[in-house]
Amino acid sequence: MKRLRLFFAVGALVVVSSPGNLLAQSNRDRIDTSYGCVTCHSENRANFLEGIHADYGMRCHDCHGGNPRSFELPSAHSGRFIGAPNKVETVTLCASCHSDADQMRQYGLPSGQLAEFRTSRHGQSLLVEGNNDAPTCTDCHDAHLVRRETDARSNVYPTQIAETCRRCHEDAALMGRYDLSTTQYADFVSGAHGRALYEEQNFSSPTCIGCHGSHAALPARPQEVVNVCAECHELVGRAFLDGPHGEATNTGEMSACLSCHVSHDSEAIPNADISEVCGACHEAGTSAGTLGDEIESLMIAAESDVEGAEEAITELRLAGQNVADALFRYQTANTYYEQMRMAQHRMDVDVLEELGRRVASNSNEVRNTAEIRAERRWEHKLMLLPIWFFALSGIALAVFKLRESA
Amino acid sequence: MVKDSDRRRENKDSLRASVGRRVEDLKASTDSSVLGAARFLGLLYGPIDRRLRIDAALKKALDYRLPPHAGWRHAFGGVTYLLFIVQVVSGVLMTFYYRPSAAEAYQSIQHMVTEIPFGWLVRDLHHWTANLLVVAMLLHMLRIFYDAAYKSPRETNWLVGVLLLGMVLAFGATGVLLPWDQWAYWTVTEILGWVEALPIFGGLAAEFLTGDAVVSGATLSRYFALHAVLLPWIVFGLLTFHFLLVRRHGVAPSPVKKHEGEGMKFYPQHLLRSFILSVLVLAIVFSLASLFPRPFAPLADPAVPPETIVPTWGLVSVSLTAIKYLGAWGLPLAGLVGLTMILLPLTDRNPDLRPGKRVGSLLIAFGLLAMFMVFWAAGSGEQALVDIARPPEVVDSSEVDLNPIRLPNVGPTPPAAGTPQGGE
Repeated sequence: MKRLRLFFAVGALVVVSSPGNLLAQSNRDRIDTSYGCVTCHSENRANFLEGIHADYGMRCHDCHGGNPRSFELPSAHSGRFIGAPNKVETVTLCASCHSDADQMRQYGLPSGQLAEFRTSRHGQSLLVEGNNDAPTCTDCHDAHLVRRETDARSNVYPTQIAETCRRCHEDAALMGRYDLSTTQYADFVSGAHGRALYEEQNFSSPTCIGCHGSHAALPARPQEVVNVCAECHELVGRAFLDGPHGEATNTGEMSACLSCHVSHDSEAIPNADISEVCGACHEAGTSAGTLGDEIESLMIAAESDVEGAEEAITELRLAGQNVADALFRYQTANTYYEQMRMAQHRMDVDVLEELGRRVASNSNEVRNTAEIRAERRWEHKLMLLPIWFFALSGIALAVFKLRESA
Repeated sequence: MVKDSDRRRENKDSLRASVGRRVEDLKASTDSSVLGAARFLGLLYGPIDRRLRIDAALKKALDYRLPPHAGWRHAFGGVTYLLFIVQVVSGVLMTFYYRPSAAEAYQSIQHMVTEIPFGWLVRDLHHWTANLLVVAMLLHMLRIFYDAAYKSPRETNWLVGVLLLGMVLAFGATGVLLPWDQWAYWTVTEILGWVEALPIFGGLAAEFLTGDAVVSGATLSRYFALHAVLLPWIVFGLLTFHFLLVRRHGVAPSPVKKHEGEGMKFYPQHLLRSFILSVLVLAIVFSLASLFPRPFAPLADPAVPPETIVPTWGLVSVSLTAIKYLGAWGLPLAGLVGLTMILLPLTDRNPDLRPGKRVGSLLIAFGLLAMFMVFWAAGSGEQALVDIARPPEVVDSSEVDLNPIRLPNVGPTPPAAGTPQGGE
C-alpha cells in the first residue's frame, strides 16, 4: 500500500514537472521574471491579463513600446515609447491594428471602426474639433481590461451597453455644455425595449447602439428614423411608407415614427389611445380625425375578440377539453391581429376591416366551442332536478312509512 | 268452436284467479315490502329456503332491536361505509377508462370526462366523495369519543378504526397523483421530498414509493397499484373485522343516562331511517359533483414547476398547511396525532363514561378535530409552491471539489508586494 502511494506520488511529480506539461496553469497565472514592465506597473498587470489581448499573447510593449528587458529607467522607456497616450493618440494606436483588415480577419473582427468613428458625433468632436470632452476608444472599452464582447462582464455586452453610455450621458454638467438631456438611460430602462432586455432577457431588443450605431454613434435624422425602426419593425415600416404618413415623412412634414411614438421610452400605443394620438395633429371631425376613430374602434374590437378566444381556451382547458383545435384557431386569430397592428400604420381602413373579419371569425369559432361546452355543462346541472325529485319523494315516502310504523 | 271458446274463457279465468290470488297474497303478507316481495318470488319459502333456512336468518335480522339510546348521531359510521361503497363503484368504473402510464393518464381522464357518457359524473363523484368520506369519518370518530365507545371492551375496534383512518389517508396520498396534472405531480413531488427528510426510514420509504430518481411513470404505476389493488383489499378485510366486532359488542351504552324501553326495531324503523339518510347523502354528493367539477391543471411537466398548486383533497390541504408552517416537523406532527389516537384507549383507563368526568381526553379530541379543520381551511385554495417546497440542502461550497485532479502550484510564485525584482 505504501509502495503504491509512493509510486503515484513520484508519477505525479514527473507529470507536473515535465516541460510540456499540458495540465500546467495558463499564462495568466505565470509571472515572467524577465519582463521588466511589471516591476513598476504591476497594478495594470492583473487587469490586462483578464482581457482578451493577453489571451492572444499581446504584452505591454506591443502598445506602449519601450524596452521590456530593462528593469531601470530611463532605458526601460527608451526607443519607440508611448507612455500614456492622449485621446487622439489612443485612436491612432488602437486603429494601427484594428483598422488593418488583414490582421483582423483571423479574429473575425470588422476593421472599419476608425472610419465609423470619424462619422460619429464623438469622432467629429474629438478628431476635428479637438474637444477633449469627447470619448476615445478606451473610454468605452477600458484601456487595459478589454474583454471579449460575448463576455457578460464586457462594457459592450448587451446588458452593459446602456450602463457604459450612461457614464457620460447622465452627467448633467457634461451634457449641459452641449444642450443634451440626461434622461435617456432612465427612459430606456422603463420603455418597451428596456423591459424586453432586462426583464425578459430578450437580447434581440435594441440597446443604445441598436438605433444610434456604436462607433458611428449619432442620433437618426428625421428622414432616417423610419429606416432605423424598420430594421426590426420591418412590416410596420413598409406599411408606414406605403401610407399617407410615408409621403409626409419624405416631404419632411412629419418626423416619421417619432410623430406618434417617443424615442427612448418607446411604447406601442394602446388601442384605446389611437384616436387621441391622431388628435394631436388631426382635428376631430376632419376626414383624418374620423379615420383615427375608425381605426381605434377596429383595433379595439379585434383585441377583445382575441382576448375572448383566450378566455374560452382557459375555460376549455380547466374543463379537461382537448384544446388542440381551438388553440390552432386562436393562434390564427392572433396572427391576423398582429397583422392588423402592423397594417394600421398604412391608414387603410379596408385592409383593417378585412383582417378584423378574419380575427373575428377565428375567435368566434373558439368561443362557440366553449359555449357549446358550457351549454352541455348546464344540461349536466339540470340532471339535479330529477335526482332531487326522486330523492325527496323517496325520503317523504320513508318518513310517512316511519310515522305509520311507530 | 264452443269448446274452444269455453277453454279460452276457462284459461282466462284461471289466470285471473291466479293473479288475484297473488295480489291477495301480497296484500295479506304482514310486511308489504321486502319480505313480501321475497315471498312473492317464491324464493324464501321455496326450495332454497327448505335447505338453507334463509327465512329464519332474515327474520332474526329483521327482528333485531337497536338499543333504546341509538339515534341519528350513530349514523355517521354507516354514512362513511356508504361513501366508501360509492368510492368502490365509481373507482371501478373509472378503471375501465383510466390508463396508469405517464404518457396516457392525463389524456385518458380527458377522454373519460369529455367523451364517455357520465364519465364526468363518475370522476367528480369519486373526487367529492373522497372529501365527504373524511368528514363523515371524523364525525364518526368524534361520536365514538364522546360516548367513550373506545373503552373496554371495545379497544380492539378502536384500533381497527384508527387503522381504517390510516388506510383512508393512504388512499388519498396515492390517489392524488393519478390525475397526472401539474398539481398532482408537484404535490406528490414536494410531499415525497419531506418524507425523504424524515429520519431513519424516510429515505427508504421515499425511494420505495418513487421507484425512480424523480416522480415518474414508475411512481404512477406504484401509486395506481396501491390505490386500486392493494389498499381496497386491506380495507375490505379491516371493515369486515370492524363490523364483526360491532355486532359482537353491540352499540356502546349511552354515557349520559339510562334509557327505558325495548329500543327501535331494525325493520322497518332502522332500515327506513338508513334509507332516508343514504338518499340524502347520495343526493348531496351528486349535487356537489355536478355543480363543482374538479378543474384540470395542465399536464404534468417534471421540468417546469408551476408557481402555485391547488390541493384538491382535504387531507392534502392539511398536509400542505402542516408543511408550510411547521416545515420538517409537519409530517412527524401528523404521525404524533395518529399515535395519540392509537394510544388513547390504552392510557385513558378511567372507567367513568360520563363526559363531565373525562374533560381531559375530550379536550384532546376536540382540539385535534379543531386543528384538523383549521389546517384544512388554511391549506385549501392556491398554494405557492415555494411555501411548501423543501429548501435545498445548504452545501458548503468550499467542501465541493470541482476539480478532482488538483495539482500542486508549480512555476514561479508571485512576488510579495513591494519586493523589488532586479534593478535597484
